[in-house]
Amino acid sequence: MTFRSMEELFEQGEALKGVRILDITRIILGPWASTLLAELGAEVVHVEIPGAGDLLIRAVGPQGQFPRNISPGMMCASANKYYLAVDLHKPEGLDLIKRLAASSDIIMENFKPGTFDKWGIGYRQLRELNAGIVYLSMQGFGNWGSLATRPSYDAYAQGITGLAEITGFPDAMGVKSSAWIGDFLSGTVAAFYTMAALYHRKRTGKGQFIDLSQAEVLLRCMDWTWLYGFLKKKRRERFGNRDMAVVPSCIVRVEDGFVALAGFSEAEFEGLCLAMNRPDLLVYKPIEQRLVEAETIYEAIETWARTRKTGEIRELGERHGFAVAQVMNVKDLHQSPHFNQRHSIWKFDDPLWGDLCYPMALHLADTPGRIRWSMRPVGFDNEYVLRKMVGCSAAEVAALYENGVVGRWNEQMAFTKPPVGWDGQQGLLFRE
Amino acid sequence: MDWMTWARENTDPDQASWKPEALSDVLVLDCSTGSFAGLYASSLLAEMGARVIRIEPPEGDLARKMTPFGEFIQGTGLPYLIEGRNKEHITLDRGQSQGATILKALAKKADVFIETSPPGWMEAHGLGYAALSELNPRLVYVALNTFGQSGELSDTAKKASWHCYDTVAQALSGFVSTTGIPESMTAFPEHTRVPTRMGNWMGWYAGGAFAGLSVMTALYVRDLTGRGQFIDISPAEALMCLNNYALHFYHMTGQVIERPGNIEPAAHPYCYVRCKDGMLFLAGYADPNWKALCSIIDRMDLVDAYPTVKDRTDPQKAIEIIAEIEKFTLQQTREELVALWLAYKGPGVTVAGEILKPEETIELEHWYERRALVKITEAPWGELLIQGTPVKMSETPPRIKWVCRKVGADNEYVYLDLLGYSSNKLAQLKGQGVV
Repeated sequence: MTFRSMEELFEQGEALKGVRILDITRIILGPWASTLLAELGAEVVHVEIPGAGDLLIRAVGPQGQFPRNISPGMMCASANKYYLAVDLHKPEGLDLIKRLAASSDIIMENFKPGTFDKWGIGYRQLRELNAGIVYLSMQGFGNWGSLATRPSYDAYAQGITGLAEITGFPDAMGVKSSAWIGDFLSGTVAAFYTMAALYHRKRTGKGQFIDLSQAEVLLRCMDWTWLYGFLKKKRRERFGNRDMAVVPSCIVRVEDGFVALAGFSEAEFEGLCLAMNRPDLLVYKPIEQRLVEAETIYEAIETWARTRKTGEIRELGERHGFAVAQVMNVKDLHQSPHFNQRHSIWKFDDPLWGDLCYPMALHLADTPGRIRWSMRPVGFDNEYVLRKMVGCSAAEVAALYENGVVGRWNEQMAFTKPPVGWDGQQGLLFRE
Repeated sequence: MDWMTWARENTDPDQASWKPEALSDVLVLDCSTGSFAGLYASSLLAEMGARVIRIEPPEGDLARKMTPFGEFIQGTGLPYLIEGRNKEHITLDRGQSQGATILKALAKKADVFIETSPPGWMEAHGLGYAALSELNPRLVYVALNTFGQSGELSDTAKKASWHCYDTVAQALSGFVSTTGIPESMTAFPEHTRVPTRMGNWMGWYAGGAFAGLSVMTALYVRDLTGRGQFIDISPAEALMCLNNYALHFYHMTGQVIERPGNIEPAAHPYCYVRCKDGMLFLAGYADPNWKALCSIIDRMDLVDAYPTVKDRTDPQKAIEIIAEIEKFTLQQTREELVALWLAYKGPGVTVAGEILKPEETIELEHWYERRALVKITEAPWGELLIQGTPVKMSETPPRIKWVCRKVGADNEYVYLDLLGYSSNKLAQLKGQGVV
């Protein structure tokens, strides 16, 4: 099989070329939704406040580390966007937002319910300026309902939905994913609904208001939890690394690490029994039996695997037709020929920061997703946005700076700034 | 009108049937086999109004059998009942040549084609993208498999006929390696301090969400170009994209992010702690907020012991801090602790929130108000409680029209409607085991 080079990928078209998104979102949930669309070619203006910018995410780095002045927290939900810093507490700042909104296709925000409405830049006001606007509001619990005024964090969303209580081992404690999955998964489905609204607009010219709840996304993705609880009046327990609805599908300890294996069809299960040299387990070939006797089957697999190596189990899986994968850590992924061949591990030279690496899963053959650049300093693209998109004159831009309506980074905060030794030009997209 | 009233009135899910559906001109064929990644993708489209035809083998899809502890209603498992929403269910043995021919005839009429077979299976049966797009250049074809449709692991999966499983995707994505209790938390039994899968089917949902997004994007492009395209989605890669900065940070520093239990490595405390009757979410990581937290638990000595963010996010010290906080929280219930945090009026901001067990979450009125959980009574299943949709929309709201259908329940209508098959012809096909 031949693989496409980066150059060949860039020769392909961009799906959302010409779609403009005004992204006034914070932390991860909103920024990730717009990043996905930016990876597909949309032109995204990411708005922060001058100075500190989105401090709640820019200041996030493991043990306070910000390599090259990059914020790891912000970087992972930022790609291909234009960075504008506007003071939304100034009327001229709100005017600027309205001017951008007038020529945008999509607006995204995740401020508390009603904040933008109060500021005069909510859906009710912006649709008067632009009837086709798709307005996406992302909240912890939505824009209405009895929990709507509660603040939400990813970890709280994982907690209140019960997701953390069904993850982990019964004899330890519930665990949340260390990934901000409540933000990332919700941002992904938010991008889906936005595209559905854009599709409708193409047919009718009508925009709309979308109210997305982060907690409800996690609730939606908890498979059989609710129906089981409702019908059986029983708690869903934690089952560690065993899938109780797909038997067997599990993660087991092996001599040299951890391996996932699964084989649910009768043929796959038979292959696994042969591989384990346990013909006696074939009495569990009927699936209904296996679901009831899951404990016995998992114990047999775990005991068998414990004294074997990853390679051996993979070979047996290849020979006998049950699926196997090593539990990969990030180093394994970074070096994996498979993911590198596919550009799912996307290594590139950023115009500002040098060599970087992103994951990439948007493999659309004719309009593939791509990364052009990473996060950027606060207000780094002010000139590009104001001059090229809004059409301000040089004098107007100067006045906006003068009055503190727009601004740049804070020299005292590394994670808001360009890299050390920046020459004042590198990476700028519009130079006066 | 105040904002919340306006938002509620304009996005009320109970008014959905008065409004149009965004995807009412889209026909989807969902041929997924034993994979809720495919089923979730087609649910997203079906909720938005696409006509989704769910194609199962004559005996029903394996996914119908995926259910906890062997709980079935009329032969269908609980998860499938939830994901069968709004879909027309027909049967077809696409492994037989006559079945493959019929599938091609259906694909000619379709806008979207979803499959989750082992890589290469569809091509081997003359049903790959190349064959179908020749019949229907407007077709958007999405292949979902853990290992993707290219690359060395995909080649292995092709040879070994590996299906698309959630746990395998979770492991391969790197997500499992960053989830779970670390070695160093020795208070927990050894077998629990391991890389841990998410309790739900997070790999499948991530894959389904990426597939849904990609399909919508391809449909949008098709309006401009007139052509469909091939989409290759790996649920493992989808989940990899949702794993914070692990990969980005490793590339820059060579540091591997390890599983941290319920601690956030970049901000602490922003974590769960244990208490008398469960767990509590606690946040208070910036210096003034950390002081506030310490003052509530009456342990100002901790402020001096761990004065800076850097001290507190040190992996070893982070665990010590949890142990100290738990000395306090383990003596009280979640309710008592939340009340204590709410009563704090001093400087700094610290937040506490209760971690709920599923049987507590299911009682919250909010989900029912917003139809995030809905009770539906429908034959032959009886009364069910299923997830609604997590989004409310003003113009084209998503909706649930029916829960699920039995195997082959829509054969007669769909085959007549799309291919003009008479009931005689259908009976004949049934006799041959094709439908």
